[in-house]
Parts: sequence; C-alpha cells; structure tokens
Amino acid sequence: MSTRAAPRGARLTPLAREQRLWGWVFLSPWLVGFAAFTALPILASLVFSFTDFRLTDPEAVSFVGLDNFRRLTVDPLVRVSLGVTLRFALISLPIAVVLPVALAALLDSRWLVGKPLFRTLFYMPYVVPVVSAIYIWQGVLNTQSGWLNRLLRLVGLPGPNWLDDVRWIYPALVIIGLWGLGNAFLITLAGMQAVPTAYYEAARVDGAGPLARFRHVTLPLISPVILYNLVLSLIGLMRYFEVPFILSNGTGRPGSSTMFFNIHFYKTSFVFFDMGYGSALAWLMFAVTMVLTGLLFWSARHWVFYAGGERG
Amino acid sequence: MGRRLLAAALTALAGAALAQPVTITWFVGLGAGAQPEQKAAQDAIVERFNASRDDIRLEIVYVTNEVSVATLSTLIATGQAPDIVGPVGGAGSAAFAGNFLDLQPLIEEDGYDLSQFPEAAVENQRTDDGLIGIPFASFPAFLYYRPALFDEAGLEYPPTEVGAPYVLDGQEVPWDIDTLTEVAKRLTVDANGYDATEPEFDPARTVQWGFVNQWAGAGVARQNVTLFGPGTMVDEEGNARMPDNWREGWRWYYDAIWTHHFMPSADEDASDLLAAGNPFESGRVAMAQSHLWYTCCLTGTEWDIAALPSYQGTVTARLHADTFRILKQTRHPREAFEVLKYLTGEASLELLAVYGGMPTRPGDQDAFFAALDERFPQGVDWEVAKAHVAYADVPSHESVMPNHNKANDRLDQFKSLLDSQPGLDVDAEIDRLIADLQAIFDEVR
Repeated sequence: MSTRAAPRGARLTPLAREQRLWGWVFLSPWLVGFAAFTALPILASLVFSFTDFRLTDPEAVSFVGLDNFRRLTVDPLVRVSLGVTLRFALISLPIAVVLPVALAALLDSRWLVGKPLFRTLFYMPYVVPVVSAIYIWQGVLNTQSGWLNRLLRLVGLPGPNWLDDVRWIYPALVIIGLWGLGNAFLITLAGMQAVPTAYYEAARVDGAGPLARFRHVTLPLISPVILYNLVLSLIGLMRYFEVPFILSNGTGRPGSSTMFFNIHFYKTSFVFFDMGYGSALAWLMFAVTMVLTGLLFWSARHWVFYAGGERG
Repeated sequence: MGRRLLAAALTALAGAALAQPVTITWFVGLGAGAQPEQKAAQDAIVERFNASRDDIRLEIVYVTNEVSVATLSTLIATGQAPDIVGPVGGAGSAAFAGNFLDLQPLIEEDGYDLSQFPEAAVENQRTDDGLIGIPFASFPAFLYYRPALFDEAGLEYPPTEVGAPYVLDGQEVPWDIDTLTEVAKRLTVDANGYDATEPEFDPARTVQWGFVNQWAGAGVARQNVTLFGPGTMVDEEGNARMPDNWREGWRWYYDAIWTHHFMPSADEDASDLLAAGNPFESGRVAMAQSHLWYTCCLTGTEWDIAALPSYQGTVTARLHADTFRILKQTRHPREAFEVLKYLTGEASLELLAVYGGMPTRPGDQDAFFAALDERFPQGVDWEVAKAHVAYADVPSHESVMPNHNKANDRLDQFKSLLDSQPGLDVDAEIDRLIADLQAIFDEVR
C-alpha cells in the first residue's frame, strides 16, 4: 500500500490525517530525545556563554555580555589548542581518507582470496571499545616494554619515544587512529562495489588500463563516499578527545603537543568549573567546524561526481 | 459530613507526609570507596543505618574516581548536590573549597565531644569556611622498602627510628637525602648487572630502580618535594612563589630521573617492567615513599617499612587526612550531621578497615593495626607509621591555592614535563611555572 503526498493546500482525507498523526507518534521518541538531550543543552550553552556561570557556585551567576568571547582572543591556550588540532588534522586527514580507499581497492580486487576474512579483520578493531584500545596502544607504544620498539630493536633500530617525544607523538596518534578506520573502509568498499561494471567494460574497450580505470571510473564514482568520509573525519578530529586525554592525563604532554581544543574545553568546563567561558569555547569550536565543513561542501562542487546530476 | 471526611483525609495525608523519613544522599568516589571490593561493606553499613532509624533514610551513590569531580560539580550546579561526600582527602576537598558546611554550630548544638581526637587533627579540619569535618582517617607517609633488594646489593636496611643514622660501608652516616640518593643509586641496576654508580651502567636498559614517589602524580604534584620540608606556593600577599627548599627538591627530583637514573621516567613508570604504573608492587623498585593507604594495593609480603630521610636535619612526612563532609547545599543539615556522626563513630572501624586508613582516635589504632598484621604477617613494625604523624607537613602540600583547580593543573603539567623530557633547565621551567601561576592567581583577584 502506498500513499501519495497531498498537494499543498489540499484538504487531507481522514486516512491521510490519521497516517500523519501516527507518523508524528512514531517520530516523537526521537523528537523528545533530541529536544531534551541535544537542542536544550545547545541552547543552554549559548545562554551560559554570556554569563560567568561556575558549576560549583550556581547561585552567583551573572550576565557578562560578550566578555567570554573577548577572552577567547586573549587566552593563549585557545591559540595553542586550535593550532594543535589543526596541525594534527593536516597530518591525519589525508591518511584517514586515502587509506580506506587504498584498502577498499585491494579488497575489491578479483585476485584477492579470502575477502570475507579480510573484511572482518579490518573492521574488527572498530568494535573494540575506544578506551580499551587506547590502553592497549599505550602498552604497545611504550619505549621500554612495547612490542613495536621490541620489534625495531630486533632489526637493530633504536625505537623512538612515541608518547613523550614531540617529534613522534603525532605519528603515534595517527597509528592509534588507524585502528578505527574499519568503518570508513567498509563504507568505501560498499561504494566501490556499487560502481556498475558496464563503466569498467566501456573503459576497457577504450583501452584504459587498471590505473586509468581506477582514476577515471572508480574515483569519480566513489567521490560522494570520499566526501562523506572526509566530512565525518573532519568532525571527528574537531571533537578529538579520548586518545590524547587518556595518554597524557589531560596535561598536553609532551610539551603542549596534545593540548587539543577539546581538552582545553573539557578542563575549563569540568575541571576548573568555568562553564560560562567553557560554553564560549564550545561555540568557537562549533563555528570553526561549520566553516571548515562549509568549505568542504563548497569544494565538493569541483571534485565530487553525482551520477544523478549536480546537487543543489 | 463530607467536609469532615475531607478534613480527616487531609490531616491523614499531612501526617503521612510528616512521617516520611528525610533522605540523605552519600556521594562516594572523590577519594576511596568506589572500588568494587569496598562497595559491599559500605552497602551493609547503609543497610544497618536505615534499619536503625525511622526518621532518616540513607542512600549511597558510587561514582568512579576519574569522573567524580565532573559529576559532583554538575550535581552542585543543577541543585542536586548530595548531602554528604566522602571519604575525601585534602586534594579532593581543595577542588571544592567553599562548598562545605561549617560543622561548628551543629557540633555545639549537638554537644558532640571533639576532645576524643588529638587537637592537631581537629585543627587540620579547620579552613576559612570553618570546621568542615570530623577527624576520621590519617594516612601518614613513610618509606616502604624491599629487604631482598638491599640484601642483594649488600646494603643495610634503612632505619626504622625517625632521625636515626644509617650504616653505609661500615660507617654511621645521617639518614638524609644525600644518603638516600647514594643508596638509591646502588640499588638501581641495568640488564647487565651494573648499578647506577658504575661507569658501565646503561640507563636505557634499567631493570631495577632505587626509589620512587609511589602514586604522587596527577593532582598531587606538590607531594614530590615534601622530603625537602613543608612549603606553600602562595606568599602572604597571595602571589605565586616557589620556596627555596622546594626549588632544590625539584632539581633533585629531576636529577634522580635523568642524571642518576634511580627514579623511573614517565615512560618507564608506565611500562610492563613496573607493573604499568604500580612500580613498588612490581618488585623492581627498592624504596618507595608513600602513605599508609598504599597497603590497599600491596599483594605480597616481601616488604617492610622504615623512616623517611631528613633534609637539613629535619624530617618531614606528608600526611593525608580523609573524612566525610556535608555540602552547604544540603536541605537537611541536622539529619546529615546524624549520618556523619554514624560514619565517623559507630561505623568508623569497619569503614577504616575498608579504606586502609589509620583511625584518628588513638584508642582505635591498635585494633586497626592488628587487622593489618593479619593481612601482612611478615611482622611490619607499625610504630614506624604512627611515629611519622608527628612529622606531618605544615602547611600541608594539599593546601588550597587561589584558583585552585587551574593552579593545580598547571603544577601537574610541570611535573609531567619533568617526568618525560630530558635535557631541561629546571630553574627556567620553575620560573615559567611561577609566572603562569601568578597569572592564574590573578584571574581570581
């Protein structure tokens, strides 16, 4: 059974009214949850950002206008933490996008034996709870007893101090991040397998080799998936918190190289109890994320191919 | 008739409402108490209290230590603050300074006898907000050591009497920081069997360390320099400072890790060699400065305790004092005080056994140590622990600083830097720390 949407302004039949009502009923749990646990806190944080609200002194709250936003411009940790976040994004984003494509291309190959096994193996780390995975990696990357450095020592290489050397901490964070690429990989693989074989056959007839087929057929047709992965990775990076927080206990060690923006935000709000300024920090991060995501969508017009035509 | 019935019904309802017990919430997690093995005993105590009272209903809330500060601050902000928190020590209390109820009026109203506690312990609970706790548990610091490692190195054991000398190479020498340094170096051994006093010693392949400040990390950075005497980082005008003795203490601390190598770096501390953050328990550390609460987490019996060394002729032993506190937001201060009396009185011995805390009431101490002897039958001389209470650091290393949580966080960053980065100019880092602390203090002037 199917129902057509009534034209605008047309009177609804009793059946359509009933169906609309039931539609709202079925949507209501999500709507109530969204209002209570997302919309209201967002609105509250906007209000807090104009106050000097301290968690441990809620009765002494007062309106401070734009003071918290002015403070953003003089707080040295804002500059430091934004710099750390963006620097790490520059290193890890290309890897987070290219590697799933490369892995998916390998697993899409008709020559590979045991594809289901590899698919499972690549996805499996994604289901390990993130905190457990971080503790495991902390052990693996330990200079003294970590497996990685033991392996390096076996081949005569001195293992670096992954977690306490400013030159090695970002590679270490990238390695830990690779652990969670399973989801992006699987989505990319699904995108690749959805490319009609007719395009490949046509390209082959035109004399295109494997690389040319990948470049001129596969990549354009999975570009919406790449954009999707890119946007999610960017948002993930802007809210990057658990890994550096657990590794450095929130100290930003080594140096200030892991003082990511969200650690600054978390400490301001929940360790220093300065919820007013913490809310201003949250809105700054929201603005930065919106601008970067907007830029991505703007750039998508030039490199993302939609088979159904250009998206508005 | 109808009106009478209505009036009777309303009276009955009001009576029923009046007879409802007052609910008092007890928040556990800022200090000890949230470990699975500790919960059963606390639950039983709550059950017993509720069975004994009709007017008060006690409810216990457990929060893991890692999220306890954020949880409690959120509860306070939303007007859902618990009535009682604890056990909580100086560091946890300092994080919520200004939020605890002054108990003095309740004590006077109740006629509660404070003379059952040593006067110093009562004074230890006094802050700018008044008397914010009843003494409960004391955790003096002292030296834990592993006799087998001393035997192996051919060294005498450290003295058990505070201020007594040490015998090194047949000579009697003062048991002070210099002697501890020398002994710790001899007890630090690499994979080839060389100790840290020998030129062949390879610090990259250390397998045994001489000394560690056990669990004196995040939130408690100041603990690491109290061997050099007490101190405060706030001067009389409220400005940031580093006491000279602590400046020397930090230099010694840094050299111990990076020059003499007898203390593990952050990376070594987190390694499997040192039980991933529990170094003394690993059996690869010869001496550890820690508190009585560390007995919680020792499993073997191949250890003993001894006196802390002196610095310039004076011994200083850190003291932690935990208790329960009533929050200012409580709507039922009298009922909360009744619970507080129960926890620090009738239920105290049972709770102290669970938390590993030495009773502050002198009369309760023998029973407490007898219970410890059952767990650790190697014959530990607990008089050593008791003796260190007299050398407590005043002012405490846990004292409140202006803009405390932020200042403490900056101290953590400083310690973390020293733990993890070789080749630093410690004095320059201290100067940078003081400049930053000054800016942090100024934010709340």
